[in-house]
Amino acid sequence: MSIDRQRFESGLTYQGYKAQMTRNRERFEENERRVELRPDDVAAFRDLPRPLHVVVLAEDWCGDVIANLPVVGRLAEASGKLDLRVFLRDQNDDLMQRWLNQGKYKSIPVVVFYDEGFRELGHWIERPASVTELRGRRRREVFAAHPEFGSPDAPVDQLPEDVRERLGAELQKMRDETTPFANQEVVRELRELVSRVAA
Amino acid sequence: MAGPVRVRITYCAECGYEPQTLDLAKALMLEFGAQLSSIELIPWDSGTFDVSIGGDLVHSMGREGGFPEHATIKDAVRARLSA
Repeated sequence: MSIDRQRFESGLTYQGYKAQMTRNRERFEENERRVELRPDDVAAFRDLPRPLHVVVLAEDWCGDVIANLPVVGRLAEASGKLDLRVFLRDQNDDLMQRWLNQGKYKSIPVVVFYDEGFRELGHWIERPASVTELRGRRRREVFAAHPEFGSPDAPVDQLPEDVRERLGAELQKMRDETTPFANQEVVRELRELVSRVAA
Repeated sequence: MAGPVRVRITYCAECGYEPQTLDLAKALMLEFGAQLSSIELIPWDSGTFDVSIGGDLVHSMGREGGFPEHATIKDAVRARLSA
């Protein structure tokens, strides 16, 4: 199934997507506020020769959507060059099947760029590999620094409640500390993609 | 015959797995009643849906993928009760 103007316009606007969220909206909007865009990144999108249509596949329960779609939304707002439409993954499986991660996983968000004639220019899936790598390393460091947390591969229900609470707090702190890097990596990858295919 | 069995369900709250968690807890409550010493529901994150019975992990979304069949969990509880 390809995207044409009619299908594109049937998607939710970014604001419409936020309005229909049934969970995690507070975190989503907090993430929006935390995105810091560098002027040169905004300029790279703002200086595109023409606006791009952008299809996003998302669901409000997905942590990567909560983290990364706000970055895309802020880029669209700041540049004025990205015309976003959001499609709910589980109601648009024909679209999801086009951009399966590694050909088999329904990873989201998927961000797909189109030119004015709805020719696909490129797509981006889920999160940067650099973010997965950093957070995996930082997670292992958390466990190494706190032997009471046990093995990083063990189920958390094996931990006493107070230890589990401390582990949750440490992991949240790690995620918070790595969020600026993660946001910047999303911007970097999207900028590189767009600069390669649409500049 | 073993004594009452403790069940723990660790679920991703961020992901909205509450319905699956409550469905499984209810199914176990109705099936086993007071044969269970407790059913503990642990909100977590990272796409988790783990079920432990008497301290043994019998289902992990990260390991097996997806949600467990209720019958699979019931069979694991029965095995524990008869151990």
